[in-house]
Amino acid sequence: MNPRMTRDQLLRRGAAGLTLLSLPSLLAACGGGGGGSSAGDGEVNDVLNFSNWELYTDTPKTRKAAGMTGPTTLEQFTKKTGIKVNYYEDINGNPEYFATVQGRLSQGQGIGRDIIVTTDNDKFLGEYLDNGWALKLDKSLIPNISNLIDVQASPPFDPNREYTLPWFSGMDGIAWNEDVTGPVTSVKQLFEDPDLKGKVGVWGQMGDTLGLIMLSNGDDPAKVTDESFDRAITTLKTAVDSGQIRKFYGNDYAQPLSTGDLAASMAWSGDIVNLGNPKLKWVIPEAGGIIWTDNMLIPLGGSVPTASTYMNFVYDPEIAAQLALGANYISSVKGVKEAAAKINPKAIENTLVFPTDEMLAQMHQNDPAMLTNQDYTDRWLQVKGT
Amino acid sequence: MTSVAAPTPRARPSIAARSWAFVKRHALTAYALLVIAYLMLPIAVVILFSFNAPSGRFNYVWEGFTLDNWVNWNDVLGIQAAVIRSLEIGFLATIVATVLGTLIAMAIVRHRFVGRGATSLLIFLPMATPEIVLGASLLTLFLNATAVFQLGFVTIFIAHVLFIVSFIVVTVKARLIGFDRHLEEAAMDLGANEITTFRKVTLPLLAPAMLAAALLGFALSIDDFVITYFNGGSVTQTFPVFVWGIARVSVPPQVNVVASAIFLVAIALALGNVLWQYRSAKRTQGAT
Amino acid sequence: MGTFFHRHRSGTPYLLLAPGILWLAIFFLIPLLFLGYESLQSGDFPHFQFTWEFSNFSDGIRDYHQQFVRSFVYAGIATIACLLLAYPLVYWIAFRAGPWRNLFLLAIVAPFFVTYLVRTIAWLNILADQGPVVSLLRDLHILGPDGRLLATTFAVVAGITYNFFPFMALPIYVSLEQIDPRLLEAAKDLYASPTRAFLRVTLPLSAPGIVAGTLLTFIPAAGDFINAALLGTPKQSMIGNVIQSKFLESLDYPSAAALSFLLMGAILVALLIYARIVGSERLTG
Repeated sequence: MNPRMTRDQLLRRGAAGLTLLSLPSLLAACGGGGGGSSAGDGEVNDVLNFSNWELYTDTPKTRKAAGMTGPTTLEQFTKKTGIKVNYYEDINGNPEYFATVQGRLSQGQGIGRDIIVTTDNDKFLGEYLDNGWALKLDKSLIPNISNLIDVQASPPFDPNREYTLPWFSGMDGIAWNEDVTGPVTSVKQLFEDPDLKGKVGVWGQMGDTLGLIMLSNGDDPAKVTDESFDRAITTLKTAVDSGQIRKFYGNDYAQPLSTGDLAASMAWSGDIVNLGNPKLKWVIPEAGGIIWTDNMLIPLGGSVPTASTYMNFVYDPEIAAQLALGANYISSVKGVKEAAAKINPKAIENTLVFPTDEMLAQMHQNDPAMLTNQDYTDRWLQVKGT
Repeated sequence: MTSVAAPTPRARPSIAARSWAFVKRHALTAYALLVIAYLMLPIAVVILFSFNAPSGRFNYVWEGFTLDNWVNWNDVLGIQAAVIRSLEIGFLATIVATVLGTLIAMAIVRHRFVGRGATSLLIFLPMATPEIVLGASLLTLFLNATAVFQLGFVTIFIAHVLFIVSFIVVTVKARLIGFDRHLEEAAMDLGANEITTFRKVTLPLLAPAMLAAALLGFALSIDDFVITYFNGGSVTQTFPVFVWGIARVSVPPQVNVVASAIFLVAIALALGNVLWQYRSAKRTQGAT
Repeated sequence: MGTFFHRHRSGTPYLLLAPGILWLAIFFLIPLLFLGYESLQSGDFPHFQFTWEFSNFSDGIRDYHQQFVRSFVYAGIATIACLLLAYPLVYWIAFRAGPWRNLFLLAIVAPFFVTYLVRTIAWLNILADQGPVVSLLRDLHILGPDGRLLATTFAVVAGITYNFFPFMALPIYVSLEQIDPRLLEAAKDLYASPTRAFLRVTLPLSAPGIVAGTLLTFIPAAGDFINAALLGTPKQSMIGNVIQSKFLESLDYPSAAALSFLLMGAILVALLIYARIVGSERLTG
């Protein structure tokens, strides 16, 4: 190589090198990326983009375990309607998912999805609806909406069910580890029993934790006032400061509960089912429990006809039964228990997946106004130390 | 006149003294192995639990031994793709970041230029930024430039290079500060130009430091969750994103299997390197 | 003779810097500018307005100074712990491990291949109240009969230490590795005891590595949130947790942005003090 490279030559070679470095990425960036749906107008697409939580639908493995054969419900949908489903299990938390999509939605852009799923006892469902980021369902394409159970027909955040439909529900209750303690059946016991000191878990979610506490205080979590909120926060703070409560958990209370670090904890029914540990028992608290529901909604840029067609499909009791059996969560479709009994008579004995009417009568929902109240959120976060 | 005293016969050191000498000689080795054991402790548990046969969907309590998870490691949907994605991005981002970072380190350490101090401080800023802020603000950038950037592999790659490069710079700098320039000067005195000197003298001397920095960068990349989650657009899932996503409902033993496998493969490669080092050492010995 | 670079010495650094700095400029500085803009906004999500809201910063200090201090203390303790733990190990690897050194270097970093969540689940298992470690400590009366290791300050700091260990170890290795063993031989020949040789030769030569390791450990650890989230209680929350929840749960982006800048600022101040103490040429050479 000629050691006497001129400055010109070097600069040219350098520039060429840099371009070579960045050009492929630029090209790839332009060409690649996730597919979006058409801004749906009247036409049913041949692709449905569906974002959901992990393991929130039936899979070949779970079908087999539940005694079902044949293709998954998603595959059945494609077979029936010809619509291919791009199923994304990219929701692992309401706040996290919201943070990744709010940018585009707030600018009126679509997010490349026709259906997303978000929980009703978190503020984010309210944010989607209040900010106009959800599209109205096409109920003419959802005749099966009549199969929606009555108790879900008119929730406070969407009284006429114009934007949302339940996917799965779960129950908030108390779980305890038999090896460590006797039954723990009330929030009062959870917070005041000295034997449980330092071995009690609560959730890091405001709706779930304060909801149960309000019930224990005799207040209605569905109609929160400043006084009832104050009472709940005080109860909680007392238990935190005294060291009764070990920690605020996401769903990671499951491990310490299993190993005995937690004697008892506020716990979700679905988790107990999934843990499959006979030592762990779950009850609805004496004062009542909270039921939360993950709702489907159509975000901006989604195709309303395509999404509505899918929603209609899953509101068929036969399909709903397969989903419930395959995912172990509570369905909101009428007749799901009977349909499930036909597939797997033993499975319907699991009241955590097929709750009885008595159980449902003890369930309450959160007040969306409390969830979207900034002042309440700030005070809650303060108790959590943040 | 001084006379050289005849050396007195030394008494054989007592057992206590010999034991103490033994301890002193090997104390450091013992300590080192202890620390390694401490680092490996959770890994051992991870590998152990990969053989667990849990009855539920979580893998928290030991219930029984099985080889099933290793045989059916791919049973969990998406796990294979996630691992491959993690490795791809890891290697690519690490290589690019190492190159960029080494260049920056050389510029800062070896040259005095306007803005040297500011550049030095600039390097520290990405490290000082909380991950969520880094991830979210990068996402905002990408979303405002959707003509050029579509969320996916490339955006994750860009993000990873971004947060790795600072670590590379600081690590390589540690080697460059106090680097003996005499060898390079000698080479140039013998007729090599700057580029040849760099290739034949500087680079080989710098290589172990670059390797250590790259190792660090790779570890950072393969373990990142927050920034990847924000900038992946969910089309592309890496292994940590996959695990965090699934952990809400299930932590299957297959996760342990895959994690253990990655670890064991890396160890195996390193063992291969040890063997290779032994061989080449032997060869140079034999050649003399 | 390669006179090009001699003649154009002033151009070389910029050429070397260009690709890396360009990357940082586009993908870090620009988002940072936007973050700055955001930090001076006010209002409720999603209708933020730019109002030169400097009170975001003063409120941040007023409300969260406890978490700021705590973060720096935890990060500081963890950094020192990492230094004390790592240095002897890395010394051994550099001077005594021979052909095994790359294996042990990998072993330092290998825990990262296993994903944070998976290795933390393992730690939660090992350090469980009913587990072997806690039982032993209770038997030895180091812990009270109801004592625990998890959900404590110890757990959080230990978690930070464990997870940032490679960041301290590898840079120190980098500067130890380059030490010519003949220097130590010379010291020995000059009747220096091993301790003296270490203090007078090895330690000073490894100073750049120590400085680098300290920075690579402390700076990211100060902003860490995950260890406090999984291993701590509200009493251990760090500024990273505050920023996390401001951003994700409160949707209070201006506050989150302001707090991030306050953190960056605090770290830069600490950095400048540190540079003063160790001498700035240790940072830049």
